Amino acid sequence: MASLSLEHVGKKYPNGYEGVKDFNLEIADKEFIIFVGPSGCGKSTTLRMIAGLEDITSGTLKIDGRVVNDVEPKDRDIAMVFQTYALYPHMTVYENMAFPLKLRKVDADTIDKAVREAARILDLEKLLDRKPSALSGGQRQRVAMGRAIVRAPKVYLMDEPLSNLDAKLRVQMRAEISKLHDRLGATIIYVTHDQTEAMTLGTRIVVMKDGVMQQVDTPTKLYNEPCNLFVAGFIGSPQMNFIDVKVSEKGAGVALTFGSNTITLTGPKAKALKDGGYVGKVVIMGIRPEDVVEEHEYAEGRTLSETFPANVTVYELLGSEAMIYADVDGGQISAHLSASSSVRTGSKINCSVDLAKIHLFDKQTELAIAH
Amino acid sequence: MANLATSKAGSDRNRTFLMILIPVLVLFVAFNTIPLLTGFFYSFTNSKGYGPFEIIGLQNYIDLFQDARVGNSYLFTFKLAVVSTILVNVLSLILAIGLSSKIKFKSALRGLYFVPRILGALVVGYVFTYFFTYIVPAVTGTDSILASADWAWIGIVVVLVWQACAQTTIIYITGLSSVPEDVYEAGALDGATGWDKFRYLTFPLIMPSITTNMVLVMKDMLMVFDQIVAMTGGGPANSTESISYLIYENGLNNSQFGFQCANAVLFFILIAVVSIAQTKFLNSKEEQL
Ligand SMILES: Nc1ncnc2c1ncn2[C@@H]1O[C@H](COP(=O)(O)OP(=O)(O)O)[C@@H](O)[C@H]1O
Ligand SMILES: [Mg+2]
Repeated sequence: MASLSLEHVGKKYPNGYEGVKDFNLEIADKEFIIFVGPSGCGKSTTLRMIAGLEDITSGTLKIDGRVVNDVEPKDRDIAMVFQTYALYPHMTVYENMAFPLKLRKVDADTIDKAVREAARILDLEKLLDRKPSALSGGQRQRVAMGRAIVRAPKVYLMDEPLSNLDAKLRVQMRAEISKLHDRLGATIIYVTHDQTEAMTLGTRIVVMKDGVMQQVDTPTKLYNEPCNLFVAGFIGSPQMNFIDVKVSEKGAGVALTFGSNTITLTGPKAKALKDGGYVGKVVIMGIRPEDVVEEHEYAEGRTLSETFPANVTVYELLGSEAMIYADVDGGQISAHLSASSSVRTGSKINCSVDLAKIHLFDKQTELAIAH
Repeated sequence: MANLATSKAGSDRNRTFLMILIPVLVLFVAFNTIPLLTGFFYSFTNSKGYGPFEIIGLQNYIDLFQDARVGNSYLFTFKLAVVSTILVNVLSLILAIGLSSKIKFKSALRGLYFVPRILGALVVGYVFTYFFTYIVPAVTGTDSILASADWAWIGIVVVLVWQACAQTTIIYITGLSSVPEDVYEAGALDGATGWDKFRYLTFPLIMPSITTNMVLVMKDMLMVFDQIVAMTGGGPANSTESISYLIYENGLNNSQFGFQCANAVLFFILIAVVSIAQTKFLNSKEEQL
């Protein structure tokens, strides 16, 4: 398989628009890399530059150490699964999957074996004689996968391969792709705008925004230590809460004040705020809904802050648990509750936050100060 | 009430429909259907186009198959049509691919290539006659090809192809633009570039346009008339006498009205058969997309 290296890769479209700026990434063999970010952030552009479908306007792309900037797509030994599947409409499923091998002048027996093996893995054996027009979305998706895997390429590129499927099928195919990765031991680069897909599939995730790479990390690190406000807000659903808090010195620690509420923080985070010169300034406190604790909820093992009052404005029962959205003095907050909680819309409750899970961001630069 | 209202609206719509339809139908019957049927009738007569005539049954049809001049005109017309149709389609497809690629002044060039289409066939014929009679011989020092019984047909092919390419190219451009870009991108990764790209992707995917163009161009070419009038008048030595030209010339000018009506009926049937056969054959090559 293969390793990839992108060094200062950039894309400037003919109209002058910079789709991707200074993209740097080392991808090791067998990694499952996810490009995630909102629509229009340059994920597809980056992927298409790797595929060779889009010219690289600055920087270097290497596959297995060889610079491939000017190598034809077909000679990069890369297979791509398109969002639209891009099946050949005039060929049967079998012919679609056999096509890349046929063009490489592989002998018919070998082609047949490869196609049937792929069909078996993807459960397409009964559909081999059909044209794409006679297939469902999920089946087309699997054919597109099949066409990629028969070639056993160095790298698989997938551009939002599941976004045209319904929710149930998407979850199912997500699991299939994950299995496929283990089984093929392949290097995969996968584009999605869906952070859940990113979190469940990736060994590493690249978060992008406006053509600029924001952070590259494992799912856990991204979730627990987002490098800036954008990443913190993008990863995790429902979104992380953000509240403007004023920092003031309080004994060995600091006090974070929002409205008439105060939370006392000690330890490394307090030190980071002090060392960073944030005392007397306003910073952004980030806290995920599951780390906001209503006073009657189970909180063993957590170091809770002082409580503050909140008025519940929305209550949503999700089945095994519930979400609330509440007004607090100086902001708004959402929180997870157990389904058995008696809190409802209109309830006046007292909340606290898990001090270990507080994130702090600079209000100007939006960069993380401490986690 | 509701029913009444809808049926009233329905009859209003019917009236509009009829008002549009009837005038067109009357004109069509008067200038197309009636002449067609009259012509069919005259094909069983020995009419000269004027004066008295007698009904002679199938005699005209029997004579048709023994008339050398008629036979030659069929040979000439089919040779001309087949050669021109193939040339037009090959050249148009090449042009269309060129005009569909990423080039500068694409719209302007597309407009330019459409100009022959809007010029009258007679005008084009006369311009090319001048070109073949005076300009080409002046440059090459040879005789005009239009004066040679062996080569005059080539001159006609040139004109026919030059003019027919316009519309054919436009249809191919439309066909090419209907092929999804992502199919080509998948092809680029799978290794379908250059000739393979054309052979395995473009060609099968534009088969519907190929069918349309083959049938349309073949029909037009079989009915070639204006260019013959302008360029050779069927000569030299009747070597470029197309079927339409023969029907017109001998039917209206040389008192063979009944006979040439029979020729026209035969020709009509032949064109229908050719078009249907072409469509059938090419449809079987079209992919079920
Ligand atoms: N051919 C093009 N010319 C100019 N701008 C483009 C072109 N293709 C894409 N863009 C722009 O580049 C940005 C990134 O696009 P893309 O990579 O497709 O985003 P996404 O992350 O949704 O896949 C978008 O703002 C898009 O409008
Ligand atoms: Mg995209």
